[in-house]
Amino acid sequence: MLKMDLQFFSHHKTGGSSSNGRDSAGRRLGTKAADGSAVTTGSIIYRQRGTHIYPGKNVKRGSDDTLFALVDGIVRFERMGRDKRQVSVYPEAETATK
Amino acid sequence: MIKAQIKKTKYGLSGFVITGHADAAAYGQDIVCAAVSALTITTANSLSQIAGLHPQIDQNETQGGYLAVQLSAVEQKNQRGQILLQNLQLGLAEIANEYQDYVTLQS
Repeated sequence: MLKMDLQFFSHHKTGGSSSNGRDSAGRRLGTKAADGSAVTTGSIIYRQRGTHIYPGKNVKRGSDDTLFALVDGIVRFERMGRDKRQVSVYPEAETATK
Repeated sequence: MIKAQIKKTKYGLSGFVITGHADAAAYGQDIVCAAVSALTITTANSLSQIAGLHPQIDQNETQGGYLAVQLSAVEQKNQRGQILLQNLQLGLAEIANEYQDYVTLQS
């Protein structure tokens, strides 16, 4: 009786190699400070590639497009125009008087 | 590319020779190879186990990709043997028809 080798007519029978199989580590992008959370000056709010979210009030964009706070305050994700979004930081005093 | 050849004589179908590799996917995931392997190996085993024949079988056990089964002239008159080989021919023809890039059948 012949052995039922279902890959009898397949190539690289003895462990061929493949040129794939490499990948870089995940960049952990995305939100680092949620809407409504308190942040201090310099805190990173959002890591991104390109401007998925735009810098709003009291927020600046770093060289790698990271958004960070310029003042202590509360994070607010807002709409910008028809289909864009921005993030702002409002000092606690300012949010209290609103 | 798998090349399948069904052999005939005046008595009927006398055997088959399968050579080559399907290369339809990586080893272990090649469904075309699996189909041809299952069909041909089962036929070879059935010729002896079911039809009670003693076909001459030659294969490349280390690298695969070669299987030749040949019935003697006397054995070619065995009806069960003929049915098994016709069954193989039908199956290979359908596979070759659907997967023309990976299997050719000459009969």
